[in-house]
Amino acid sequence: MTETLSNLALGFSIALSPPILFYAFLGCFVGTLVGVLPGVGPLAGISLLLPATFGLDATRAIVMLAGIYYGAMYGGSTTSILMRIPGEAASVMTCIDGYAMARKGRAGAALTIAAVGSYLAGSASVVGLMLLAPPLALFALRFGPPEYFALLMLGLLVLAYMSSGSMLKSLAMATLGLLLGMIGIDQMTGYFRYAYGVVELGDGIGVVPVAVGLFGLAEILATAGLATPPQVVKPKLRELLPTRQEWRESAWPIGRGTVLGFLIGIVPGSAHIIASFVSYAVERKLSKRPEEFGQGAVAGVAGPESANNSATSGAFVPMLALGVPSGPIPAVMLAAMMVHGVAPGPLLIKQQPELFWGFIASMYVGNVVLLILNLPLVGLFVNVLRVPYPILYPSIIAFCILGVYAVNGSVVDVWIMLLMGVLGYLLRKLGFETAPIVLGVVLAPMIEMALRQSLAMSDGQYSIFVSRPIAGTLLLVGLILIILGLKPLVTRGLDWRARLALAEKGQEQP
Amino acid sequence: MKKLIVLAGLTLAASVAATAFAQESYPSRPITIVAPFPPGGVADLTARPVAAAMEKALKNPVGVVNKTGAAGAVGMQFVATSKPDGYTLLLALSSISIIPEADKLFGRPPAFTVDQFAPIALISADPTILVVPADKPWKTAADFIEDAKKRPGQISYSSSGVYGTLHMAMELLSHAAGVKLRHVPYAGAGPALTAILGGHVDALASGPAVVLPHIKAGKLRALAGWGDKRVAALPDVPTFKELGYPDAEFYIWAGVFAPRGTPEPVLAKLREALRASVNDGDFKAAMDKLETPVVFKQGDEFTKFFEADARRLAEGVRKVGKIETK
Repeated sequence: MTETLSNLALGFSIALSPPILFYAFLGCFVGTLVGVLPGVGPLAGISLLLPATFGLDATRAIVMLAGIYYGAMYGGSTTSILMRIPGEAASVMTCIDGYAMARKGRAGAALTIAAVGSYLAGSASVVGLMLLAPPLALFALRFGPPEYFALLMLGLLVLAYMSSGSMLKSLAMATLGLLLGMIGIDQMTGYFRYAYGVVELGDGIGVVPVAVGLFGLAEILATAGLATPPQVVKPKLRELLPTRQEWRESAWPIGRGTVLGFLIGIVPGSAHIIASFVSYAVERKLSKRPEEFGQGAVAGVAGPESANNSATSGAFVPMLALGVPSGPIPAVMLAAMMVHGVAPGPLLIKQQPELFWGFIASMYVGNVVLLILNLPLVGLFVNVLRVPYPILYPSIIAFCILGVYAVNGSVVDVWIMLLMGVLGYLLRKLGFETAPIVLGVVLAPMIEMALRQSLAMSDGQYSIFVSRPIAGTLLLVGLILIILGLKPLVTRGLDWRARLALAEKGQEQP
Repeated sequence: MKKLIVLAGLTLAASVAATAFAQESYPSRPITIVAPFPPGGVADLTARPVAAAMEKALKNPVGVVNKTGAAGAVGMQFVATSKPDGYTLLLALSSISIIPEADKLFGRPPAFTVDQFAPIALISADPTILVVPADKPWKTAADFIEDAKKRPGQISYSSSGVYGTLHMAMELLSHAAGVKLRHVPYAGAGPALTAILGGHVDALASGPAVVLPHIKAGKLRALAGWGDKRVAALPDVPTFKELGYPDAEFYIWAGVFAPRGTPEPVLAKLREALRASVNDGDFKAAMDKLETPVVFKQGDEFTKFFEADARRLAEGVRKVGKIETK
């Protein structure tokens, strides 16, 4: 423990030195911008800015890139709440209740809760990263394809809890999403599926164009179709802060989101998206008033936003402790280290203590920077809602196109987004929810890959899913969840019988 | 009328002169090197120092654009169909010869063909090396191959993707040694490395730079290399050639290409610029940090290397054939 503290002291002496502080601030600032721009998420942001860090030394470069990563996670909630446009894929869930809150005039509260939740989750998970990195990293590595498959099946079960309307409709949308996710190169054989000669479709349908189209664009189209334009919500200064009630309702979701996000985050893969979905489902399940979800429940903002931020720290666990490229973003950051001649590997902590502890300390600093940066911005961002719709909406569409194009430099992605916008509009008119489509698109390629890799590992034996302890346990949890999911059918029956019994009793007592 | 003809003639002469002048003064505007893979990958990390050094040599801006998608096919197709004027270049990896061959195998219209490119120069060539988790029983490549013969289809390996470079390396070895291994493809070299570090597969063919730290840390063991010579950082690790499998030769290489039809004077200028670039101090330092050996070949030498490599890979793809799943 004393060793950790002295190491941390070393880290802070590095993190608080003016140049490092400057790059941490710069990273956070750029990250916030990246997050605010629709569609452009941390991966695109880091990729675009990686070359700019080649001239810096390793610690500065890593600190700045990490700042972009978690800065984008903070910033991603802003457009989700204000305009229902996911700033990046992990903010999809924030769109639902965050935007509903904004419509009720609680945009400031939602933004503040998102920022504070992100701050608490970010800071708490750095503590986890610092104290638990080596043992947790070894555990994370045990997640191979079968374990990942089991985890994703759990994610799929989450779908069942996502809709506030008809279960049939939401499952239909999930199926549509899963089918869309099938487009692209078959990873196991190299066949092109449903690509129709468009090379770009080989990579499949990206989450970003789908999410931006279905949420943002569809919202704009739907609003434009209203007979009477919606009232411009003029936020008042005293309404910017959450009420005591809202704070109370956020506390537990933030705590649970932090733990959940961190644990899911350490699993190799694109886990931060799943973390936010799972957190939303958990909060809804635990809520005393689940019917409020989708109508502006503050827990639906607090949970997922905390989860996606602590998942970022979780993702650094295998990367820093073992030098493992555990996801697309850690892979880019490892490349950045290699460019600077730092060989990422299990010996990094010993060989480069300045880099490791400087990085850890800079994450504490970065989270404070982001909180300071974001809270005053709440007041500024909320003013966007004052802009009259004839000006606001065309500019939002322009930013959506720009953002989606910037991710891959692909015009095909822009077309996908526009088509999804139209589809989203039609589905809304017909009373379907679109969030399950996004989850389907995210999960389909991952589940398929994990399933087929597992079967390739076992030479076609399905027993691999139950013979490995982690996979078996996760699937068992899934089974229990299904059984619990069936419980309401039974208990509702009991309620009904109980009520009948009461009624009969009532008749007996004149 | 005569006047008009004279005028037309003059205009034509002027425009011809202008073209000639433009060619003479190549380059007169920024040059773009397309890296068909995302930032942080081998192509990108090679392209950036190359671009910086070329900028010095040509005294003209040279930028890198990542045009990614479909395992590199999107960016390669983009350059193949670009104007052959020397302003759009491609930094390609070995996969440039695999993709058209795989397209052929599936009978689909190829995204591009190798003939659409004019090779300019080879920048680096890194042989893959065979690594296994340190807790596996195989101490040498001979142990590994012997065991694989005893248990066909039982020893598994991860790769960067089906028909990807790491898959091809392993397939060349399988055919050279007459063994059958179990292939578990992953989506990229990073996840493939994560898989072997987690003990989910038994072997991996990888570029040396990314596995070196894990070999030093005692997590992985290197058994043999696919190169013509031993890897400098691993002098005790033999090559498959030494072990009697000369067909197991494979490099992850990076080379610069222009669209076919680029005028010869422009190509000559680019060759010269690239020769100067690989001798540039900053470039060498950058490649050293990546632990990637610079192997410079141009002109006929590169064409020969490229064609031999393409032939080996085409044969590899054909041997793998279409993958049937159960």
